[in-house]
Amino acid sequence: MGKKFNFWYISSLLISIMVAIPIVTVLLSFFEPTGDYYTILKNTFLTDYIYNSIFLLLGVLFLTFVIGVGCAYVVSFYTFPGVNFFKWSLILSFAVPAYIYAYSLNAFFENYGTAFTILNNLFGEGNYNAHIPKFDGILGAIIAISFSLFAYVYVLTRASFHYQSQNLIELGKNLGFSKKKSFFKIILPSARPAIVAGLSLVAMETLSDFGSVSFFGISTLTTGIYNAWISFDDLTLANRLSSYLLIFILGLFILENVSRRKAQFHTSSKGGFKSKSLIKLNGYKSFFAFTFCLIIFIISFLFPVSQMLYWTIIFPQHLANLNVGKLFFNTMLLVSLSSCLLIALAFISNYGNRVSKSKFLKMLNIFSISGYAIPGIILAVAFITFISWFDNQIINHFEIQSIKPFFIGSILGLVLVYFIRFYSLANNGIKSGYEKINYSIDESAYLLGYSKFKTFKNVHIPYLKNSILLISILLTIEIIKELPITLILRPFNFETFATKAYLFASQDLLEAAAAPSLLLIVIASFFILITSRHTLKE
Amino acid sequence: MKKIIVIILTSILLNNFAIANEVNVFSSRHYESDIELYKKFTNQTGIKVNVISGKDEALQKRIIEEGTNSKADLYITSDAGNIAIFDSKGMFQNSMSPTIEKLVPSNFRNKNWVGITKRARILFYSPERVVNDDLKNLNYEDLANPKWKGRIVIRQSNNIYNQSLIASLIFNNGKETTGEWAKSIVKNMARDPKGNDRAQILAVAAGEADIAIANTYYYALMLSGNKGLEQQIAAKKVLPFFPNQNNRGTHMNISGGGILKYAPNKDSAIKLIEFLLTKEAQQHLVNNTYEYPMIEGVEPHELLKKMGTKFKQDLTTDVASYGQYQSDALEIMLNAKWK
Repeated sequence: MGKKFNFWYISSLLISIMVAIPIVTVLLSFFEPTGDYYTILKNTFLTDYIYNSIFLLLGVLFLTFVIGVGCAYVVSFYTFPGVNFFKWSLILSFAVPAYIYAYSLNAFFENYGTAFTILNNLFGEGNYNAHIPKFDGILGAIIAISFSLFAYVYVLTRASFHYQSQNLIELGKNLGFSKKKSFFKIILPSARPAIVAGLSLVAMETLSDFGSVSFFGISTLTTGIYNAWISFDDLTLANRLSSYLLIFILGLFILENVSRRKAQFHTSSKGGFKSKSLIKLNGYKSFFAFTFCLIIFIISFLFPVSQMLYWTIIFPQHLANLNVGKLFFNTMLLVSLSSCLLIALAFISNYGNRVSKSKFLKMLNIFSISGYAIPGIILAVAFITFISWFDNQIINHFEIQSIKPFFIGSILGLVLVYFIRFYSLANNGIKSGYEKINYSIDESAYLLGYSKFKTFKNVHIPYLKNSILLISILLTIEIIKELPITLILRPFNFETFATKAYLFASQDLLEAAAAPSLLLIVIASFFILITSRHTLKE
Repeated sequence: MKKIIVIILTSILLNNFAIANEVNVFSSRHYESDIELYKKFTNQTGIKVNVISGKDEALQKRIIEEGTNSKADLYITSDAGNIAIFDSKGMFQNSMSPTIEKLVPSNFRNKNWVGITKRARILFYSPERVVNDDLKNLNYEDLANPKWKGRIVIRQSNNIYNQSLIASLIFNNGKETTGEWAKSIVKNMARDPKGNDRAQILAVAAGEADIAIANTYYYALMLSGNKGLEQQIAAKKVLPFFPNQNNRGTHMNISGGGILKYAPNKDSAIKLIEFLLTKEAQQHLVNNTYEYPMIEGVEPHELLKKMGTKFKQDLTTDVASYGQYQSDALEIMLNAKWK
């Protein structure tokens, strides 16, 4: 047994424990008594919080399902003008964070907003305000979140279709099904695991959204946690609300994992498929498919980008005042440090799991959802609280220098919290890559006399090169967009594109927020294009 | 080579260590012009100003948790309610120098914190739909009158400016009366509260409501044209009105700050506060943020002067009461089902 506790086992264990700390804290607090605020909250707003969270979730799930699956279906099974363009351009919506989408939505449709200006210029002066629909409140949040997240569903569903497209349609034809019937009876069920996996990612992101719901002034569980903890100092209540959230997310996580397992079953047996010949659409059908994709592309990407571009052009002074070089450097510094750490540790942990084959480690791995389960803003404050508790309880006893300055308000602290937040992403990516490497490869390596480390370095890493590239780009995009953690934990005078955009927006200067927002979208888009070229090749 | 990389990385990771002759500001005021002002201060005194800006709650949490190790010297925020609550947690130290006490009226400061600029929360009305008789001697209290049913817009109850306005009403009229008032206001609302102060003014301009309650600088910002031509045109469709002119005066609030209990650079921080209260700095602030100056002898921005400078400000209500009655104010609004 002693052999089991080697370097790989221990490091894998330590990484899992570190990521698990916040989630365990939350679960333990469920049994502590709560303060007065809970009673007030329970009598007034708790049901509102839960109701709003559920309503928001259902709205977003519905929209992302329709858009994501619809687009994936059309571009996977048919050819029509522009189909190759849409295949990758629809992923660009990943570059637009929900909060920036929310700014655009509000600015366009508000009284005397951009829509009003356009109508005024087209049709002359008039009172159009009453006729312009208002997308604010919960409706606004549903739209903003859906259009910035539907790509999860789109990408996963498309990948699933990619491996099975032709057979299914032919199967339908042979059975004498209409296209509609084929879609609902054959195609949709076959892609179900991928769709569910995409939707559960969407759901987790939706539940932990803070930026757009607080912009639209909606009280959800997440804002409830924020208020309970930060405004009312009621840690127990905050944790109890978090555990409600956690139950939701745990369910989703299990759903996602189960679906993924099924999805693997589907994709792994791809041998024997015919090469695909796509169905060519003609006439109005082709026009319809084209229009559908175009509208989604316009709403999800062109709309927020043009709103930001419009402002940047009519208020060029804001761009001129921006220290773009510094912002870029800061953003990329965080991106590179965090991605390296995340990928390295996810690797070690996965390899540790692989060589030790320990059930206990596998179970601990489930805590990697920590980052998803606890919204970024809460995680950041939890980190500060934890460091301060640790410092006061432990470090002070040894009368050495306080560790707080090393962790709070430093790049190190930021990188660590990003680590917890995005570990799930890195870990799952590496894990699914690893699952494709057969164990017999490891054994052959050992037979050749490779040590465990050498197997890791010379066999696994080259094998997983593509996974690493993909994950590092995903992490890059997430970190570029990340706002609440950066805002709270950053050092003095340290700004990124995201914090700059937020600070302008929060003083009601969306015009000034446009320039950093636009740059953020451009940079994230650049990274998405690298990935999409890569995924299209596959 | 490896060593050099390690040194560079460590210095990047730990780049927040204190250098002498600096002052560290935690600020929830996000104005670029504030940063320009700090640069002027650095040029004059050689003291470097380091800034972290963010949401109030998060900044406060960070200061509290950092405790004795906090490098924060000065916390600057808008709204007296924010400052007073933080003060009640014992987070500030006595920061009043004789210079500060001489410059700032006593209801806008206490021994631990001081107002730097002022703003008024006033009414904006549609001159087409609100007649002069309605406005005569109008007080905040009168907005409870059923004749305003379906005509008022104001933002949500979680907004600190609203909490402070209601706290001032509790201070002056008592909790019970204000509770009734809030219930009537909710009945008189033209729509469920949503959007920021500017959205309320726009709602009146667009004909959704007749009276908006909003802070003065939002209106000035719209008039300035910095938010585009349409916003300027919209702002001209509504007019400002300063309530309670025949009694205590219009509700005033502050942006301000205090020196933190464990501030490592207290002297520099006092210098910075004193600098912010000089004529030069005050002029810079009011020109860029459309707030009212805190000290005598500085003129507000032209746009504010056009709105009327001769109005009576409430100088009797101690703004510290906004913190004292904040939870009562929130309770009243929640009970009135003010969203």
